[in-house]
Amino acid sequence: MITQVENPILEIHDLTVSYDQNPVLWNVDLSLPAGNLVGILGPNGAGKSTLIKAIMGLITPTSGYVKVFDKPMNDVRARISYVPQRESVDWNFPASVLDVVMMGTYGKLGLFRRPGKKEKDLAIKCLEQVGMSGFVGRQISELSGGQQQRVFIARALAQEADLYLMDEPFAGVDMATETAIFQLLQEMTAAGKTVIVVHHDIHSAMNFFDWLIMLNLHLVASGPKEIVMNEEMLRKTYGGKLNLLTRVTDLIRQKDFNPLKG
Amino acid sequence: MTFDSNAFLIIFTGSLIAISCGFLGVFMMLRKMSMTGDAISHAVLPGIVIGFFVSGSQRSLEVIIGAGLLGILATLMIDWLRKKARVQLDASIGITFTLLFAIGIILINLLAYKVDLDQECVLYGEIAYLPIDSWITKNGMNLGPRITWLAGLNFLFVVGFIYLLFKELVLTSFDENFSSVMGIPAKGINLALMSIVSYTTVSSFESVGAILVVALLVVPPATAFLWTKSLMPLLKLTAVMGVLIALFGYYLAYLIDSSIAGMMVLVAGVFFGISALIHSKKPSWMGRTSSTSQPFGV
Repeated sequence: MITQVENPILEIHDLTVSYDQNPVLWNVDLSLPAGNLVGILGPNGAGKSTLIKAIMGLITPTSGYVKVFDKPMNDVRARISYVPQRESVDWNFPASVLDVVMMGTYGKLGLFRRPGKKEKDLAIKCLEQVGMSGFVGRQISELSGGQQQRVFIARALAQEADLYLMDEPFAGVDMATETAIFQLLQEMTAAGKTVIVVHHDIHSAMNFFDWLIMLNLHLVASGPKEIVMNEEMLRKTYGGKLNLLTRVTDLIRQKDFNPLKG
Repeated sequence: MTFDSNAFLIIFTGSLIAISCGFLGVFMMLRKMSMTGDAISHAVLPGIVIGFFVSGSQRSLEVIIGAGLLGILATLMIDWLRKKARVQLDASIGITFTLLFAIGIILINLLAYKVDLDQECVLYGEIAYLPIDSWITKNGMNLGPRITWLAGLNFLFVVGFIYLLFKELVLTSFDENFSSVMGIPAKGINLALMSIVSYTTVSSFESVGAILVVALLVVPPATAFLWTKSLMPLLKLTAVMGVLIALFGYYLAYLIDSSIAGMMVLVAGVFFGISALIHSKKPSWMGRTSSTSQPFGV
C-alpha cells in the first residue's frame, strides 16, 4: 500500500542497495509530502538505516535515484540535516557540548571560515530547545546516553535545515525525554519542516507520526498513518512474529485506536 | 653540562620536529589512525628512492613529491584493503607498509650505484650531525643548518594547515558521515592530512629517522590525552611535551654519550609511563565533574 504524492519533498525512485552483491533494499519507490513527521518502521535488519544512508548519498545505490526538493542530493545539502546513530561516534572525543552543537553550523560557514558569535548564539538557542542549556561547557565524555542523543538533535537543529533525517534518535532515551523530543519534532513539522525518523516502537509510532514508511527489505507501505497502520500491513512488515503482533492488536483494541481522534 | 649554540640548534630543531609531529599526531589519534602514521613513515621509502633516482640528489623537491605521493598511495591502499577487500584495519596497515618498505629496500639495492642512500640513516637518523650540515648559498653565504630550516618550514606548514582547516579536521575526526552529509569533503580532508604527515615524515627522517618519527606522532598526544579531555589544552600539552622531550633527550644523550633521537623517544616513553601510572592511581573524584541533570524542556 504505497501512497504517492504530488510535488514531493523527497522522491525515491526504484532504489536498490546491495552489500557484496546481496541486496539489502529492493525496489523502494516512494514520495513524501512536505511538513510531515515521517516514521520508518521495520524489524531489525529490514534496511531502515540503509534507506536513510542511501537518501543522503552515504551509500551508493545499485540502481535507482533519490531526489530531494526535486533536485539531486548534492545540490541541496545545505537544506538537509542528519542525526546519526549515537553509537556511530566515539564520545571520548575531546570536545564540549557547545563544540559539538556548533558543528551543525559548519556546513553553511564553508571552508576556512571560523564560527563566531552568531554561530555560538544559535548553538546555545538549540541547546535550550532540547533542554540542555545547563550543559554548554560540559565535556561530551561525561554525558549520559539520553543527553548524548539530545546533543545530537541540537546539532541537527543548528543546521537550520528543511529536511531532517534521524537514525534511531530514541534508542536508550527514557519515556519523558522521548515524549519531549517528539513534541519538539511536531513543533518543527508544524513550522513546515519535514522530519524522517527511523523508529522501532510501534506503540509510540501510532501516537506521534503523521506518515509511516514500513520496510522489510522491500517497501511494504508508505502513506498517512490512518491508512497504513493496520494489522495486515504490520503482519507483512514484521512477518511471522505473531506474539508481537497480537500484543499490538491488543493494544489497538484496548486503546480503541482511532487515529482521527488523536 | 654545557649550553652552546650547537646544543641550542639541536634542541630547537628537535622541538620543532616534535611539535609538528605531535600536532599531526593529535588528529591521527582522534581518527584512531595512529598506526597509519607508522605505515606512512615506512611507506614513503620507495618514493624517496625514486625521487632521489630521478633528481640525483637527496635534498630535492622530487624526493618530497615522491614521498608525498607514496604516503597518499599507502593511505588509499589501507583504505581500499579495509573497505573493499574487507581486511581488518591492523592487518591492512601491516600488509601495506611492509610491502612498500620492502619495495623501497629492493630499489635501494637495485639502484645502489646511483642512489647513495644510507638505510641506517633513513631508519634511525642522526640529529647530532645537524650543526655541521650547513645551507650554503651559491655566493658562499652560510645560512645555518639545513635541517633546522627544513624543520622550521615544516613546522610553519603544519601549523598553517591545522589553523586553516581546524574546524574541518575536528568535524571529520569526530563524525565523518555527518560532515559528508553537510558537503564537507571528509575524504579530501583526510588525504590532505595524510599528505602533510608524509611530508613531515620525509623532512624529519634525516634527523630523527623513520622509526622515531612514529614515536613522536603517537606518544606525546597519547600522553597529553591522559591529562586532558579538551582539544586546545591537548594541543598545548602536546607542544610543551615536544619541547621537554627535545631538551631532556639532548642532555641525557650528551650525559651518557648516546643517540639523541633514541634518547628523545625514551624520554617520551618515560613521560607516558609516569602519566599512565599517576592516571591509573588517580582517585575517581579527580576525573569527573558532576552536576545534576536538569529536566527536559525548560
